[in-house]
Amino acid sequence: MIWLTWRQHRKQALYTLAGLLALAALIVPTGLAMRGTYADKGLRACLDGLRDGNLSPEASNTCMRALDAFNEQYGGLTFAGILLLVLPLLVGLFWGAPLVARETEQGTHRLVWTQGISRRHWALVKIAAVGGFTLAVAVVYGLGTSWWMAPLMNAGHLSRFESGLFDMQGIVPIGYTLFAVALGVFAGTVWHKVLPAMGVALAGFAVLRIALTVLARPRLMPPKVRTHLVQGNVGERGNLVGDWVLAKQVRNPDGSVVATNAEVSCPPGAAGPGGSPCGRDLGLQAGAYNWQQYQPGDRFWLFQTIETGIFIALALLLLYLAIRRIRRIA
Amino acid sequence: MEYVLETDQLGKRYGSRWAVRDCTLRLPAGRVAALVGPNGAGKSTLLHMAVGLLRPDAGAMRVLGRNPYGDTDVLSEIGFVAQDTPLYRDFTAAELVTMGGKLNRRWDAALARTRLAQLGLPPDRPVGKLSGGQRAQVALALALAKRPSLLLLDEPVASLDPLARREFLQALMGSVAETGATVLLSSHILADLERTCDYVVVLSASQVRLAGPTDELATSHRQLIGPRHDGGPIGGVAAVVRASHTDRQSTLLVRTDGPITDPMWTVRDVSLEDTILAYLADGDTRASHTEWGVPA
Repeated sequence: MIWLTWRQHRKQALYTLAGLLALAALIVPTGLAMRGTYADKGLRACLDGLRDGNLSPEASNTCMRALDAFNEQYGGLTFAGILLLVLPLLVGLFWGAPLVARETEQGTHRLVWTQGISRRHWALVKIAAVGGFTLAVAVVYGLGTSWWMAPLMNAGHLSRFESGLFDMQGIVPIGYTLFAVALGVFAGTVWHKVLPAMGVALAGFAVLRIALTVLARPRLMPPKVRTHLVQGNVGERGNLVGDWVLAKQVRNPDGSVVATNAEVSCPPGAAGPGGSPCGRDLGLQAGAYNWQQYQPGDRFWLFQTIETGIFIALALLLLYLAIRRIRRIA
Repeated sequence: MEYVLETDQLGKRYGSRWAVRDCTLRLPAGRVAALVGPNGAGKSTLLHMAVGLLRPDAGAMRVLGRNPYGDTDVLSEIGFVAQDTPLYRDFTAAELVTMGGKLNRRWDAALARTRLAQLGLPPDRPVGKLSGGQRAQVALALALAKRPSLLLLDEPVASLDPLARREFLQALMGSVAETGATVLLSSHILADLERTCDYVVVLSASQVRLAGPTDELATSHRQLIGPRHDGGPIGGVAAVVRASHTDRQSTLLVRTDGPITDPMWTVRDVSLEDTILAYLADGDTRASHTEWGVPA
């Protein structure tokens, strides 16, 4: 059975490894270059200083400029990174969906399931082999993108906790990949042709991923709230510690909302046109404050673990259902 | 007599439609049996239940005295060639033989290789590039290498040209004579079966219409031609299978249970093919009239 699995999937495994190598050819050089720049400009010391707030104003400005330049130079890579979000889905479509559907489409299930081994045995070996292989691929992918993105994530502008960036690093890609494969396998036991199985797996994966990202992830734990006064504020610092800001508002002291998705800062002593208090023309009263709801950056790994757990649990459930269904296919 | 395959009130339903219904059948050991019926009569469903791919919804299926569904011990006693002889098309014939060795406890790789060598099949070409007849031969070799007690073949020759069909059936008969396996072979091509099979099961509209050894069927069926018949009993006739009438004359295909002595009737022998066709026509038209909403 192991021989058969290897014989059937060796070509596909080769292509997948070639794909990983191509990916490595993209991320290793750019990752090294990014790290080089990061070290040359002394960004680590800068960030530590900014976080602790013990830099002189000039040093702080220099640091900010250096960080801006770094983000300017490499920020585009995050778009390349976001393209990588489809990789777990692709693995699921091309490894999961054909596992049963190709057999039933070509009728070979009637050949292989009428030899001297049980269908359960067949399914378990196949799923273990394909699952193990895609797991290894997903681990390499997840750790690779984490390593790649680390300097950008620490450079103050982006938070690795943000939607999209959260999804492509750490351990969640493992959960996504296993789920996509399991969904593909299950779809293949319901739709007995490869293309419909792939289509259903694609749609199911997209719907569930988006639903969980948009609806569930912000609520995995109760978000925290912080406020700071408009007057005397020196600007947003959330991304220095990797917070995930869910909602921003500017409120007056009585609690009424003046603006949403906005943040207003007036440096100490600043005044509006004609010497009026800062922000009056926006409708801000004295004592107006910024209100932010956020998930603190130190919850990153907790959230990663919870989300990975959800997807792995769903994957196991789907595989269980798939094995049950396989017993009924003729 | 020992029965290799027995069914009792067997039924299989897809949704509300019965593909096989009330099927009671006994296949004696050592026979080469033809499972005959039109397309959609339930032949494949019956064979799939026999090889344990499908679980019956009613009744019982026993192969070698055991329920084949999910029983790998029984499975290793059955050689199965599915419809359109599915094979992994990117595998070579040699790799398929290796695969069989990995998936079966009892596997006669030498037998498979010898057969394929005799047929002159290339061992190192993907079977997807072979002709349909060659693929069928590979599939048969794989089934025979299990050294099965029961060999089930689902329409193995349906897609083959006449020459390949004859070669396939010859190869099948030769190997069956060597191994003594019981064979159940489904087909809708009657002409081939007359030469190869010694037992016939007629399946039509999901039910067994007729089952028995071909020589008995030949002796127990006669064609009677005589004056127009009103349906009354005829001496020596057990049942009228099929009747056609003109104004003055009736032609009956009957099952006999004794000599027909009435001089009114001209008695003729009928071919196996005509007998089978008479039984098939019998079950043909029952459902469709109600389905179309017209009177029968």
